[in-house]
Amino acid sequence: MKLLNIAWRNVFRHTRRTIITAAAISVGLSSMIFMNTMMNGADKMASRNIIDFETSHLEVFAKDYYREEGVFPLDTIIENPRYIADGIKDIPGIKGITPRVKFQASISNGIDELPVLGMGIDIENDRRIFETGNSVVAGRYLQNSGDVLIGTDLANDMSLEVGSYITIITKDRNGTYNAFDLEVAGLLNTGHPLFDRNMAVIPIAQAQELLAIEEGVTEMCIRAIDEETLGPLKEKVSEEIGAQYEVFTWKEMNAAIFEISGFKRAGQFMIGLVVVIIAAVGIINTMLMAVMERIPEIGTLKAMGFTNSRIVRMFIYEGGIIGAFGSALGCLIGLLISIYLVHVGLDFSGLFENVDIVYPMKFIIKGEIDYVNMLYVFLFGILVSVIVTLWPVRKATKLEPVDALRHV
Amino acid sequence: MIETIDLHKDYRIGKVLFPALRGIDMKIEDGEFTAIAGPSGSGKTTLLNIIGCLDVPTRGKILIDGTNINELSSRRKAELRKTQIGFVFQTFNLIPVLTAYENVELPLVLLNLEPDKKKERIVAILEEVGLGEFIGRRPNEMSGGQQQRVAIARALVKEPTMVLADEPTANLDSTTAKEILALMQELNEKHGTTFIFSTHDQLVMDYSRRTINLRDGRIVEDKRKPKGPR
Ligand SMILES: Nc1ncnc2c1ncn2[C@@H]1O[C@H](COP(=O)(O)OP(=O)(O)OP(=O)(O)O)[C@@H](O)[C@H]1O
Ligand SMILES: [Mg+2]
Repeated sequence: MKLLNIAWRNVFRHTRRTIITAAAISVGLSSMIFMNTMMNGADKMASRNIIDFETSHLEVFAKDYYREEGVFPLDTIIENPRYIADGIKDIPGIKGITPRVKFQASISNGIDELPVLGMGIDIENDRRIFETGNSVVAGRYLQNSGDVLIGTDLANDMSLEVGSYITIITKDRNGTYNAFDLEVAGLLNTGHPLFDRNMAVIPIAQAQELLAIEEGVTEMCIRAIDEETLGPLKEKVSEEIGAQYEVFTWKEMNAAIFEISGFKRAGQFMIGLVVVIIAAVGIINTMLMAVMERIPEIGTLKAMGFTNSRIVRMFIYEGGIIGAFGSALGCLIGLLISIYLVHVGLDFSGLFENVDIVYPMKFIIKGEIDYVNMLYVFLFGILVSVIVTLWPVRKATKLEPVDALRHV
Repeated sequence: MIETIDLHKDYRIGKVLFPALRGIDMKIEDGEFTAIAGPSGSGKTTLLNIIGCLDVPTRGKILIDGTNINELSSRRKAELRKTQIGFVFQTFNLIPVLTAYENVELPLVLLNLEPDKKKERIVAILEEVGLGEFIGRRPNEMSGGQQQRVAIARALVKEPTMVLADEPTANLDSTTAKEILALMQELNEKHGTTFIFSTHDQLVMDYSRRTINLRDGRIVEDKRKPKGPR
């Protein structure tokens, strides 16, 4: 006869109470898991969008360009991209390199004019390391000078379709306004709001001409073979190309976004905490009842010579078992919800339709399961149950045996 | 041997001290079968609790085999209860989730016995109290008399030097009460265990060799007789 055995049976002394308590715990924990899955999913989608469309893994800029990237300073660009490409192409671990030219522009359909982000890409190279080429949902990818790709959302906003003509207008390096007429070659649906709403993608040569920057590019995008170890690769690239250039990883360039996501995690944790407190109140109540109704029993055990620590342990097992049931149930429900989220996802698009959000993804969020987190949540549930049990039990065991025995 | 010297117990009720025991002097030899009798409120339970190390006297001494148990730490008292003292309660106080066998096993959890020996002892004592067939029953599947038998087996299984029973028959009908008393007497003779029980039931006093009568916290009579009826 072990204490654990007695505790186990006491758990089933009030089966319904145990089930209700475990259910309360499981609701709390499954919500925590749900939120974690969503947050992970959102972060993963954001990361994918950044890597697959925006920056790839590493970007090289001319020194001081990145500091002022927001204003697209054309006086600090990479004047000789060949030099960089040749310099680093033999570094092992690089999958591909492509130049890009980013600039501020506006496009007009003859009636409306909208500010956009213009982007000149190397037609052939770009599709080796970015997914842009694979996201053309209507029309075709860039082929000739005069082609432009725009996002489906932008097309809707400006009532454009494949074959429509637009004018792109920008200021060149010398401050002179330049304009080109372009034909919409294809529509992009990337899932990245920046690309789908605000981007005009044109052949790089045309961008260079438009900006009067000759062979210059604003950045060189590098895709690594191994996504996890970008640090050493960054160092090597940096060493190779010298001090007049700067190299950043995609994470460094998007620190702000993942800081926001740190905020989200804090929020998620707070909400989780509230839910867990609710669950904890449930189990406090149950364990309080379990202890109170068994005070004479505690007295009997004490009369037999049971020490307080043994009695406390017995109740801790009891609370722990209920906690384990609740946690297991919570993790199971959380897992099922998470699996649904991974495969189907949640559609927030209605909610954010008219809001401009910097977070680089669309609002159908698919989940991403974090099993380690789930394990922590499981242990957390048990821990909370045990801690919460301690309080009433410690109080009850402080009673003298006579008082405990007399208690009704 | 149990000896009390000028034992006093005051209960504090608000600001007033209520004297429940007012100078108890007595000696109980090993192996005695003693009833503590007296009307309700006379201090029987209080006295038994003090002898059983569940409570402490306000004044006076209580010696068990010469040791003043007042001076023991609560840990040592628990130790004493674990090995030397068995309790039987008016309300049986069995653990409802445990079977008869497991209830009797409970005190042995605290002692280091070999599993085989443990089992042997439990089965033997349950046979002795006449519950050989009820080993697997839970308390709520047994009559009051049967539950009290389990409680007696539980008190005796660790082979204590004394069993303290506070009104062990008060919740039983008279036939069952007689059976329980006869059983305790039999066990007392067989094992030589000291039995001290409280009662205000004449029937119970008829069974005892010695009856200590309490009134208002004092001993008013201490009478012995050669042998109780069987
Ligand atoms: N915890 C307590 N606090 C205050 N007074 C108490 C307490 N326990 C007992 N008393 C009082 O002490 C006196 C003796 O009580 P005790 O329980 O020992 O009597 P008893 O002889 O066992 O009575 P009964 O036959 O009713 O069980 C009673 O007057 C009772 O009211
Ligand atoms: Mg009493």
